Amino acid sequence: MPSAVKRLVGWGMAIVSLIIIVVGLLPVSEEADPDQRRLELSQRIACPWCDGQSLAESDSQVAQDLVVILREKIEAGWTDAQIYDYFASSYGEQVLLDPPLSGWGVALWALPAPALVVGGAVIWRRQRT
Amino acid sequence: MLSHDFSLSYVIENSSRTTPVLFLLAGAWAALEGSIVLWGLVLAALVYLVARSVSAGDRLGLAALSVMGVVSVFWFGLMATVSNPFQVCTELVGGSCAATSWLPFVDSVAPADGLGANPLLQNHILMAIHPPMLYVGYVGFTAPFAFAIAAMIRGEQGSVWLERTRRWSVIAWAFLGFGMLLGAWWSYEVLGWGSYWAWDPVENAALLPWLAATAFIHSAVVQRRRGMLQAWNLILIIVTFSLTILGTFLTRSGTIISVHSFTQSDVGPLLLGFLLIVVVGSLLLFASRAQLLSSAARLDSLASREGAFLLNNLILTVFGLAILMGTLYPVALEAMGRARVSVGTPYYNRVTLPIAALLLLAMGVGSITPYRSARWDVVWPRIAAPLAVGLVVGAVSVLFGVDSVPVVILIVLGGFVIATILEEFRRQTGKVDARRTTAFAKVLRRDPGYWGGQIAHIGVALLAVGIAASSGLASRDQVRLTAGSSATVEGYCIVYEEATSRMEPNRAVVGAVISLRNIDCTGEIETLEPVFNSYARPPAVATPAVHTGLTEDVFVALATVPGDDVVLDVMVFPLMWVLWAGGLVMVGGGMWAVFARKPQRKAVIRA
Repeated sequence: MPSAVKRLVGWGMAIVSLIIIVVGLLPVSEEADPDQRRLELSQRIACPWCDGQSLAESDSQVAQDLVVILREKIEAGWTDAQIYDYFASSYGEQVLLDPPLSGWGVALWALPAPALVVGGAVIWRRQRT
Repeated sequence: MLSHDFSLSYVIENSSRTTPVLFLLAGAWAALEGSIVLWGLVLAALVYLVARSVSAGDRLGLAALSVMGVVSVFWFGLMATVSNPFQVCTELVGGSCAATSWLPFVDSVAPADGLGANPLLQNHILMAIHPPMLYVGYVGFTAPFAFAIAAMIRGEQGSVWLERTRRWSVIAWAFLGFGMLLGAWWSYEVLGWGSYWAWDPVENAALLPWLAATAFIHSAVVQRRRGMLQAWNLILIIVTFSLTILGTFLTRSGTIISVHSFTQSDVGPLLLGFLLIVVVGSLLLFASRAQLLSSAARLDSLASREGAFLLNNLILTVFGLAILMGTLYPVALEAMGRARVSVGTPYYNRVTLPIAALLLLAMGVGSITPYRSARWDVVWPRIAAPLAVGLVVGAVSVLFGVDSVPVVILIVLGGFVIATILEEFRRQTGKVDARRTTAFAKVLRRDPGYWGGQIAHIGVALLAVGIAASSGLASRDQVRLTAGSSATVEGYCIVYEEATSRMEPNRAVVGAVISLRNIDCTGEIETLEPVFNSYARPPAVATPAVHTGLTEDVFVALATVPGDDVVLDVMVFPLMWVLWAGGLVMVGGGMWAVFARKPQRKAVIRA
């Protein structure tokens, strides 16, 4: 039956694709490329005097100098946490664009997910009554 | 402005004799006072258009017009008091205005020439288009808001206010989206802010009402079709309107650090006051009418189109909430006297990804789910094939070397959404008894609301894929080149040919001629010229040069002033064109929904 064949082909393609995707994405090689790390960190640290732009975005001299410092720290083998601490203590906590998970920062991370759940529950209950 | 009347402080601060005419015109909204005038103008035009549709016996329309009148009084009040654009300069210090007076006939001093326009804002023709687009979007929501308030004041039930303002909502939504798109393109292509979207507070301020409006447009469909969600729709339009004011407040009061903080003044407290009045007033009104507003109809089943709309609303609301929190969190902490902190791109990206994935999924499944109650054996055949298509597209992208999990997820879902819509379109055209081409047009025309929405959905799916690819797969490098030398960067060969400089009427331009070639330095792909523009007043503005390709964009910006050698920032953004195309398709879908509609019964539904 052609429609059964069609269905079989469809399933086959879907499953093969799924396998390709999973296999293709599995070997996440943890090669810490220093350039990539510098790029990622420079997107997470703000330039202190550039209206909230990150080191990566700002083309100011300050930002470029700080990127040089960042590169030195990476080459010296500092961990991400050490680098964050260094920048936060030198230029104030506001240079961390990724708010740390402590104190009030927790609320920022913890509210959206429960909001989704509570909202869903409200809709569910209203529909039941 | 055009006549160089330098006795007005606004003219001094925003223009000079060498500023080109285009930017003299655009300078009319370059600073705070001017932008409030633009707001007032757009609002006045809107009031006029709405007034034309209201006849003498139309109680609801008249009430809505008076609401709009109140809003107008506020804006024109601002214009006449703290944000008067016609302040006269009474004392000059070093070329700028030290003291001003709002009395028109005091002794004024006028310098020979103005300070010139803000360099960032006289760099590109988009300055003349981007703000008005945004403002049409912002102001447009005044109409549905006014009708909603009017309906509540009169204690009217039903969807009349929705029906009558449907056009305005969709037009405002489309314009706001288009305005943001232009802004994104501008910041990417011209300003060299390094990206098209930075989750800057001001960008969030435009995105928030847009999200609320998106939720509103969707839930409005439920009310029109099934009479449900009356109260929720009122809340949504109140929220949308309030967010437009909150946005203006955040932008203009200097509460928040932003790259868009071009001007600040004391309109802040007034805007905040107005915002409070709007929110508290509307909610009190809402509460006092609550008993009239609860919808009679109930949901038959969550597994239905209505259920999908509810899910969409829930997700959009949570998305908006997360962005609002990210935007206000630093302000709140500072108000509590704690250290300044920042919430930046990493936070937003992390929040956005799961929400975008959920939204795409709901979008694909929702728009082919029947109303009332849907059974799995109806829905499944409609999504099975598209799911397979999505997976195949994802697999192909993996084979082409995409190695980022979030990007692949969004590509699969984007492919799924687009395939679902095309499949549904094919099913509907199959039903029409006509030749292929005419059947296409017939289906699209028969229900422009639905198909406009679906076109917009395709746009959203493309947009999501474009955003994911261009941000998740971007790479960046910096090279120092001496004149005549070349380097291999990001899979391209880049040759620094020479430095250039020239004078234009309003600016001095220094640049570098860069030849972008394929990896073995033979065939030239494009000659690029990133430049620095210096205007009468600092700072100099860097304009990058972008090569747009089918698979990726190459973005070259100057990191130093070019001379014997130059430092270049080279960035590669995959699939950028998909992002822009997606945005345009989305706006086009909105426009189709509004303008392809057959002229409705001319007789206004009398309340």
